[in-house]
Amino acid sequence: MSLLPLAIDLVLALTLLWLAWRALNSPDLFRAVVLFIALGLVLGLVWVRLDAVDIALAEIALGAGVTGALLLAALAKLQPAASQTDELQTAELQTAELQTDQAAVMAPIALRLFIALLLLAFLAGLGFAVWQLWVPAPGLSNLVEARLDESGVAYPVTAVLLNFRGYDTLLELAVLLLALIGVWSLSTAPHLGDEEPEPALAALSRLLAPLMILVAAYLVWVGAYAPGGAFQAGSVLGAAGVLLRLSGWRLSLSATGWPLRLVLVLGVAVFAFIGLAVIGFDQPLLGYPPGWAKPAILAIELAATLSIGAILAALFIGGRP
Amino acid sequence: MPMLLNGADWATALVFVPLLAALACFLVPRAADWLGVLAALLILLATLGLVQDLLSDGPLRVAVGGWGAPLGIDLWADGLSAALLLMTALVGLGVSVYAPGYFAAHPQQQRWFWPLWLLLWTALNGLYLSADLFNLYVMLEVLGLSAAALTALSGSATGLNAAMRYLLVSLLGSAAYLLGVALLYHGYGTVDIALLGQRIEAGAVATTALLVMAAGLLLKTALLPFHFWLPPAHGSAPAPVSALLSALVIKASFYLLLRLWLDLFSGLGGLLAALLPELLGLLGAAAVLWGSVQALRQRRLKLLIAYSTVAQIGYLFLGFPLAGVQAEEVAWRAVLYLALAHGLAKAAMFLSAGNLLQFAGHDRIADLDRAVQRLPLTLTAFVLGGISIMGLPPSGGFVGKWLLLESAFTQGRWGFAIVVLLGGVLAAGYVFKVVGYAFTPTEIAQEGEAVPLRMQWSALLLAFGAILLGFSAPWLWPLLGVGDPFGLPIAEVGAAR
Repeated sequence: MSLLPLAIDLVLALTLLWLAWRALNSPDLFRAVVLFIALGLVLGLVWVRLDAVDIALAEIALGAGVTGALLLAALAKLQPAASQTDELQTAELQTAELQTDQAAVMAPIALRLFIALLLLAFLAGLGFAVWQLWVPAPGLSNLVEARLDESGVAYPVTAVLLNFRGYDTLLELAVLLLALIGVWSLSTAPHLGDEEPEPALAALSRLLAPLMILVAAYLVWVGAYAPGGAFQAGSVLGAAGVLLRLSGWRLSLSATGWPLRLVLVLGVAVFAFIGLAVIGFDQPLLGYPPGWAKPAILAIELAATLSIGAILAALFIGGRP
Repeated sequence: MPMLLNGADWATALVFVPLLAALACFLVPRAADWLGVLAALLILLATLGLVQDLLSDGPLRVAVGGWGAPLGIDLWADGLSAALLLMTALVGLGVSVYAPGYFAAHPQQQRWFWPLWLLLWTALNGLYLSADLFNLYVMLEVLGLSAAALTALSGSATGLNAAMRYLLVSLLGSAAYLLGVALLYHGYGTVDIALLGQRIEAGAVATTALLVMAAGLLLKTALLPFHFWLPPAHGSAPAPVSALLSALVIKASFYLLLRLWLDLFSGLGGLLAALLPELLGLLGAAAVLWGSVQALRQRRLKLLIAYSTVAQIGYLFLGFPLAGVQAEEVAWRAVLYLALAHGLAKAAMFLSAGNLLQFAGHDRIADLDRAVQRLPLTLTAFVLGGISIMGLPPSGGFVGKWLLLESAFTQGRWGFAIVVLLGGVLAAGYVFKVVGYAFTPTEIAQEGEAVPLRMQWSALLLAFGAILLGFSAPWLWPLLGVGDPFGLPIAEVGAAR
C-alpha cells in the first residue's frame, strides 16, 4: 500500500523534470508556453502532495493561469512585430537578438562544457547543503499557531499574510502595481479583440463571468478560516476581466481615467491607510487594535482583491488605456 | 515639533511618505511635479529627525504590528543605515528638483517618472531600515523592478535593450538572494538578521547561503566580472534616472551585502570567511583599474561617467580585505565615506551631463565646444564632482581614500595602496579630458538650447555636498558609530533598547 504514494511522487517528479526540459528546449515558442503552463499545473499537484494547498492554489492560479495568459499575450504581440520590419526599433532589437542567438549557437564546445561543469558543481554543492537540512530547524509554525487567536482570523496562512507579516504583503501589492506602471510607461494598449467575438465565446463569457465574480467573493471570504484569500480571489477576478475583454466588452472611455486608476491603487491605499491610521489609536504601525483585526483584514482583502483583479486584467491587455 | 514624533514615527514616514506620494502621483499626474518635490522635502525632514533621534537615543528597533521577531517583521536603524538614508535623501531631493526641468520637454516620460521614482525611493528607504531577510527580498524586488522600468523610460532601442538586460540580471540576482534566505530559514528557523546572527553556525548551509547571496548581490552591485550590464543601462537612461541608478541603486545592494557580511557571515571563521574578503578585494582592485581605463577611452560623456561608476564600485570592495584581517573599523568607515561621496558626486556629474545633453543635443566629449563659457555652473558642478571622485582634498572622496590608504599602510598592504592611488590618477585623467574639451572651441561653432537654472543649481548643490562631506567628520563620525554597526553583532546592541 505504501508503494502507491511513492509511485505517484516519482511520476510527478519525473513529469516535472521532463516538462521543464521540454519547455526550455522547444524551438517553437508557442509550444514552450503550453509546456510551461502544463508545468505549472503539475507543480500545483506536487504542492498538494506536500500538503501545501495554499501554494498549490496560488501556483495553479498565478503560476500556470496568469503567467500562462501573460506569456500567450506576449507571444501574440511578438508575432505581428516579427512581420513588420519597417519599424526601426523592433528591427534593431531583433538584429541584436539574432546576434546573441548566433553567439549562443557558436559558443565553442569547450566553453559550453566548462559552463555545464560549473553548473553541475553548483548543483552538487546546493544538493549537499539541502541534504544537511534533512531535518530542518523548527520553523515558526508553532509560534503562529500559538498566537493565531490574536490575529483576528482562524487560518494561519491568512494570519501571516495579513497580520504577522502584513508589511511584506503591503509591499507585494505595491510590486504588482509597480509592474503595471512599468508596462503602462512603455506603450499604449493594442486594439485587442476589436473584431466581433465568436458567438460561443460571447455566450460562454456571459455565463462564466458572473460565476467567476461569485467564486472570487467566496475565495476572499473563505480565506479567514481555510485556503483562499485576496491573491487567489484576485486572479479569478482578473481571469473574468480577461474573458470579458476577449468577448468584446470595454470599459467606457470616461472610466479609463482616474476611476480605473483608483481601483488599481485601492489595495495598497486601503492597506497603507489602515496601517497608518492605527497609529492614532496608540497601536504600532500596521498593528490592528484589539477586536478590530477581523474587520480590518476583511476590508484590506476586499480592496486588495479588486486591485489585484484589475491589475492582472490590465497586465494581460498590456499598455495604458 | 520634532519632540512630538519619536524615532519609530520618523522611520514609518521614511517608507510611507514616498509610497503614498507614488500613489498620489499615479492618480493625479498633473500635480506630480509639486507632489514629488513636497515628498522629497518631507523625506529629508524625516531623515534628519531619525538621525537626531539616533544620535540622542542610540540605535532603533521597531516591531511592525507589535509582534516582534521572529513572528513579525522588525525595522532596525543604526549609524550605517542612517548614513545611507541621509545620502539618499540629499540625492533624492536634488534629482527631484532637477527632474521637472529635464522632463519639461518629455511630458509622457515625466508622467511615469514620478510614480516609478517614488516607489524606488520607498524601496531604498525600506531596505536601509529592514532587519528581516525576507522583507529585504521584497524591497529588492521593488527596487529592481522600478529601476528597470526607469531605465526603459527613454524608449530608445538601446535604452529598451539595456533595460531588458538589467531586468533579467536584477531578477537573477534576487532569485539567488532568495535561495540563500530559504536555506537560512530552513537551517535556523528565522529570517530576522539579529536572531540569525546568534544562531548561525559554520557549515555547509551557511557557506552555500553566503555564496548564493553574495553572488546575487554582486550581480546587482555590478562588481567587475558582473559589470557588463551597467554601462549600457546607466549610459542610455534619461539623465536624472542615470543619476539615481549610479548614486543610489548600486549602493543599496552593496549595503545589503555589507550588512549580511558584518552581521551574519564575517564571524563564521573557516576557509571561505578568510578567502572571500581577499577575492572581493582583488575583484575590487581590478574594477578600479579596468573601469578607469575604460572611462578614459569613452567618447560619449554619459558612458564615461558610467564606466567611472564601475571603477568607484571597486573601491567599496577594497574594504573587505582591509577590514577582514584585524576587524579594522577604519576601513569600513573609509568605505562608507567613499560610498556617500560617490553618491553625491556621481549624481552631480550625471545631472551635469544631462544639462550638457540638453544644451547641445548630444554628449560627444570631443564636441563640447566651449561649454565652460556657456554653462559655467554646470561645468563647475562637473569639476567639483570630479574632484571628489579623484579624491582631492577637501572632498568627501579625499577623506574616504585617505582612511583607506591609512588602513592599507598600517597593515602593510602596499598593493591595495597603489591601486587606490593609481585609480585617483586615472580618474584625474578622465575628468580633465572632459574639462579640456569643454574649454576648446570646435571648428564649427554650435548653438545651444537654454538650460533652466533649477537644473544647473541642483547639480551644483549636489557637487557642493560631495565637497562639504570632507568637512563633515565631527558630525558624521559619531553618527557612523551609533549601534556600533562595524563591531559587535547587532543582536547584543539591539537588546539595549
